[in-house]
Amino acid sequence: MPKNEFIDPAVVRKPNQITFDPIPVNQYDKTIEDEKINFSKVELLNIYRDMKIIREFESMLNLIKTTGEYNSIPYNHPGPAHLSIGQEAAAVGMAYLLNENDFIFGSHRSHGEILAKGLSVIEKMDDDNLMSIMQGYFNGACLKVVEKGHSGSVKELAVDFLLYGTLAEVFGKENGFNKGMGGSMHAFFIPFGIYPNNAIVGGSGDISVGAALYKKVNQKNGVVVANIGDASMGCGPVWEAISFATMDQFTQLWENEFKGGLPLIFNFMNNQYGMGGQTCGETMGYNMLARVGAGVNPDQMHAERVDGYNPLAVIDAYKRKLQVIKEKKGPVLLDTLTYRISGHSPSDASSYRSKEEIEAWEQEDSIIDFGNKLMGGGMTDQGGLETLHTGIVKMVEKSLKLAGDDQISPRLDLEKDPNAISHYMFSNIKEDKMDDRKPQTNHSLEENPRVQQLKKKERFGIVDGKPVPKIKAYNIRDGIFEAIIDRYYKDPTLVAFGEENRDWGGAFAVYRGLTEALPYNRLFNSSISEGAIVGAAVGYGICGGRVIPELMYCDFLGRAGDEIFNQLSKWQAMSGGLIKMPVVLRVSVGSKYGAQHSQDWTSIVAHIPGLKTVFPASPYDAKGLMNAALQGTDPVVFFESQRIYDMPELFHKEGVPADYYEVKIGEPDIKREGADITILTIGATLYKAVDAADTLKQKYGISAEIIDARSIVPFNYEKVIDSVRKTGRIILVSDACERGSILKDMAANITELTFDYLDAPPIVVGSRNWITPPYEMEKYFFPEESWIIDAIHTKILPLEGHKVAHDFTNREKLDRAIKGV
Amino acid sequence: MATPVIMPRQGQSVESCIFSEWFVKIGDEVKQGDLLFSYETDKAAFEAEAPEDGILLTTYADPGDAIPVLQNIGVIGQTGEETEGFNPDTSDIESSSDTNHQEEIVTEIKAVKQEDSIGATSSSLVLKISPRARKAAESLHINYTGISGSGPEGRIIEKDIVAKYNEIPKATPLAKSISYEDHVDLPETGSGTGGKVIAQDVKNTFPGISDEEFEENKITNIRRIIAENMLASLQNTAQLTLHTTADARAIKRIRAEYKKAVSETDGTNVTINDLVCYATVKALMFHTDVNAHFTGEAIRKFKNIHLGFAVDTERGLMVPTLRNANHLKLEGFAAQMKTLAFKAQSGKIDPELLTGATFTITNLGAFGIEMFTPVLNPPQVAILGINTITMQPSVLEDGSFGFIPRIGLSLTFDHRALDGAPAADFLQSVRKEIEKLK
Repeated sequence: MPKNEFIDPAVVRKPNQITFDPIPVNQYDKTIEDEKINFSKVELLNIYRDMKIIREFESMLNLIKTTGEYNSIPYNHPGPAHLSIGQEAAAVGMAYLLNENDFIFGSHRSHGEILAKGLSVIEKMDDDNLMSIMQGYFNGACLKVVEKGHSGSVKELAVDFLLYGTLAEVFGKENGFNKGMGGSMHAFFIPFGIYPNNAIVGGSGDISVGAALYKKVNQKNGVVVANIGDASMGCGPVWEAISFATMDQFTQLWENEFKGGLPLIFNFMNNQYGMGGQTCGETMGYNMLARVGAGVNPDQMHAERVDGYNPLAVIDAYKRKLQVIKEKKGPVLLDTLTYRISGHSPSDASSYRSKEEIEAWEQEDSIIDFGNKLMGGGMTDQGGLETLHTGIVKMVEKSLKLAGDDQISPRLDLEKDPNAISHYMFSNIKEDKMDDRKPQTNHSLEENPRVQQLKKKERFGIVDGKPVPKIKAYNIRDGIFEAIIDRYYKDPTLVAFGEENRDWGGAFAVYRGLTEALPYNRLFNSSISEGAIVGAAVGYGICGGRVIPELMYCDFLGRAGDEIFNQLSKWQAMSGGLIKMPVVLRVSVGSKYGAQHSQDWTSIVAHIPGLKTVFPASPYDAKGLMNAALQGTDPVVFFESQRIYDMPELFHKEGVPADYYEVKIGEPDIKREGADITILTIGATLYKAVDAADTLKQKYGISAEIIDARSIVPFNYEKVIDSVRKTGRIILVSDACERGSILKDMAANITELTFDYLDAPPIVVGSRNWITPPYEMEKYFFPEESWIIDAIHTKILPLEGHKVAHDFTNREKLDRAIKGV
Repeated sequence: MATPVIMPRQGQSVESCIFSEWFVKIGDEVKQGDLLFSYETDKAAFEAEAPEDGILLTTYADPGDAIPVLQNIGVIGQTGEETEGFNPDTSDIESSSDTNHQEEIVTEIKAVKQEDSIGATSSSLVLKISPRARKAAESLHINYTGISGSGPEGRIIEKDIVAKYNEIPKATPLAKSISYEDHVDLPETGSGTGGKVIAQDVKNTFPGISDEEFEENKITNIRRIIAENMLASLQNTAQLTLHTTADARAIKRIRAEYKKAVSETDGTNVTINDLVCYATVKALMFHTDVNAHFTGEAIRKFKNIHLGFAVDTERGLMVPTLRNANHLKLEGFAAQMKTLAFKAQSGKIDPELLTGATFTITNLGAFGIEMFTPVLNPPQVAILGINTITMQPSVLEDGSFGFIPRIGLSLTFDHRALDGAPAADFLQSVRKEIEKLK
């Protein structure tokens, strides 16, 4: 909603029509003779060779899966192998014009794309660069294996390296390109621009948008190609990716060198099936996928259907589309028609298609066809092709022998190091900035109006014994702002986006003042596409940029479920530690907004391995934790409570420091010391605990020790254990619904660790297992001070003269569980 | 977790020991079983071994300190482990961090009635106590089986143990340990300093000793007087005893004659006792310093001999006095002895006759006593004990060896009034008189 875009009713209410341009379908009509001016003999033969290598590789895997051996070399592979036999031309054509600066992302069926892109880069790259890449990869572990006995050229060595590294990864071996942590469906090799493949259908859709964003914002060369399937057109993330990628602002609001479309090609490898569902005719309605482009923007995404069975047709399409990208008119949608002869997976009996159909396509086999064309054009003969075939078979046999051998290619030794995979879950690195260049800003930090305003605020909420008026007190949103703007001036890669981030200053005014400081390319509003917001952040982070995506309400976590739980949390480990994920996902826990806008979902996030989770409740902690999160390279889900954005600093007597400091992620904080009972809180319930502690002291003479968790994953229990040893009693409180609350996990651990010191079992108080009711009834849903007191009285320590108002008896607990409420 | 080193218990009654010395320094490493320190009771010295492997982290005892048994004197553990909780000065529950309000809680909060909860029937059969409360009960030696819990569902919680602890009287660690082990309540106060209960007091209240083992009777007045007199005599005089024997052939012969005479006629019976007493009276006549009273400032020598002689009666020992014994001949003497003895035994003696003796004789010869130390009867200066007659080897008149009967004589005298030589001289006279009798 930038004010300069005036929506004139006179214009928009005028009668009009929307017209469409024809979308080309299989328009390539050149012969091999025509193409002789564009390609040398060697180049054409290389195209054939590349297709052949892919075919042989996939056929080898097929035989291994179905017969347990290939050319008398036995191997048992129980893991996945989604083969693309028949789709080689599409893969080779796609990769032909790309180099190592162009990033491809793939799907579960991307062996062909990995090999095609690798072969294309090897062909273009000089020997020195190739050697240095191979020697540097995992300290040459992979190279050592294929080097032995090698007598040919560097390029030949590199091809062996590519085949071995990919196959070893498929087999889950430590020499594989991702230490075996990714496997067939997640394999990649970054030095060649081969970025992660995704087992989630369409998963690469929004991630590739983030990669393209990275290239644009950081002014890096190259394009991004998302190789996804036709059936992924049914997935939300893919539609969201397209929406995000085609936002008008890129061409209309972004400025200078940043103005223009994203360097992104959505390349749909349309093999006309989604597992067993037939997209055209059964599960989708587009008839021809390229049609979708027409519905997205006036440029119709430059959509085209290309005959993916003809490698030269694909190369021709890419030549033209790369030019479109160069002219900053992207993104592009390509519908690359192809067909897979192999089943969805080796266990697929192809019951969903007829034998005749398969045979018909086998007749059109692109490799045989291309080979005939080459022979017809006099570039080779049958003997030549057979020699080539023999050589390729040897190559594949060699890689199988090496990758299949458990001595040469062992797996990660979890007997020797049972915590081997622990090392990959988090990078735990500190990095001031992700790139070296001056951060682009509109003015100096001191000139920023909000920074100037903050100088006048009281950094501790009590002055001379009296509370500072809210308007003058430095509060939680100020703390978050200060950490973020500080990092903007340090790290040139840092960007933030979400809904209402720019101009509005964020729905909760955290970003007020940032718009003035930053250009669009560093802070912008995205479409309402939560999935793509997080997905793009994942892609941006994978490429090595630091990013703060925002989900306005934590209730929207569900809308970005796959991106958070399957992508954001997993890439560092699936890459064997090669990829970092410097993404801080800000979400806020609501109140007053009812059932779909007032939930605390910390427990759901904490449950998924690979995500750091924090929830500060004071300005000091908010600034310190945001600094720590932005200094690190791990994904952090940063929870904020809307209820306390304006809370001043009430605990850190020196006030919130103006300088940089960090609060270590994983350390709880004793906010108040006491001797008789411990109260552990997550989030805004800290302040309910403070009220409860005051009441306990004044009315019952009981002194409570208050511990603010601050972090949930990781979490250091030591201070809590010391506290419980001292008091013998602990009650845990948060706004999360009581059932499945992460506090229950903590309570169980505390019981285990302090059993002999306990005077009562640890008690958890959470919200009712209901929908959040309207604001006026919230006090019956969220934990109140009186709930804490009543729970203590009923379950831990009877308080003299106290009358309970809330039912914490065992009977009530059992009844609720029986009803599931 | 660090381990405390305690002063070992030495049996049921030793309350505390003296700590002698540490064999290692703070910071040294020890293995389980190494000699760690030495200590002593008032009977013996001991050496104690380290209870665990580890490093001696801290000590609470210096050479010469008197430490109650079972109290912490040091801590063994790993470097960096917490030792504060073992300090015997502060580990008492009353000196924990917030003493004042602990007391408040203990005195103000009473047991709160609990709501009805699930499985009330089964829960009433199970003793509910929190781990923390159980730990506190063990370390404070509180027997929790009788406590009613104030926690949820009747659970015994820490403050219930604290309350029980505050009710119990001060006691030494040993006393508490005995009370806890034997499931015996501590008495309210004890015989230690400031009313502290010591081990001894706990044993006194043991139900183990049954009331059938003794019969208790209040003492009689006579007993009381005798007790007082005997104690006073031994405490207030410088008495000692000389022993000798006298040839008893003469008195045996005389006795035999009288015995024969009494059986034929109705004459006076004369016993060995009479004869010896008579001889003593004769000897006294020549030793006025023995027939005397010592008043502390003066010695009173009597002109007459009023002979007291011990008579064992139902009511206890009585000493009737034969007045002016020096004026009597043997038979008259014997007759009066008999009369007085009879009166004393029948309880009809004139109380006047129970006083005023100048010298006393006591005879245990009938019981076979050969030698004893009679207790003086102050203010009398001496008392003669008569013993039994035994056969002693001797050189006979004709030069041959043979056995002659001899009677034992034990003279106790007050050295304040009489020295050893005159006392011995008197005793010799008594012997001569006995041997001279016809």
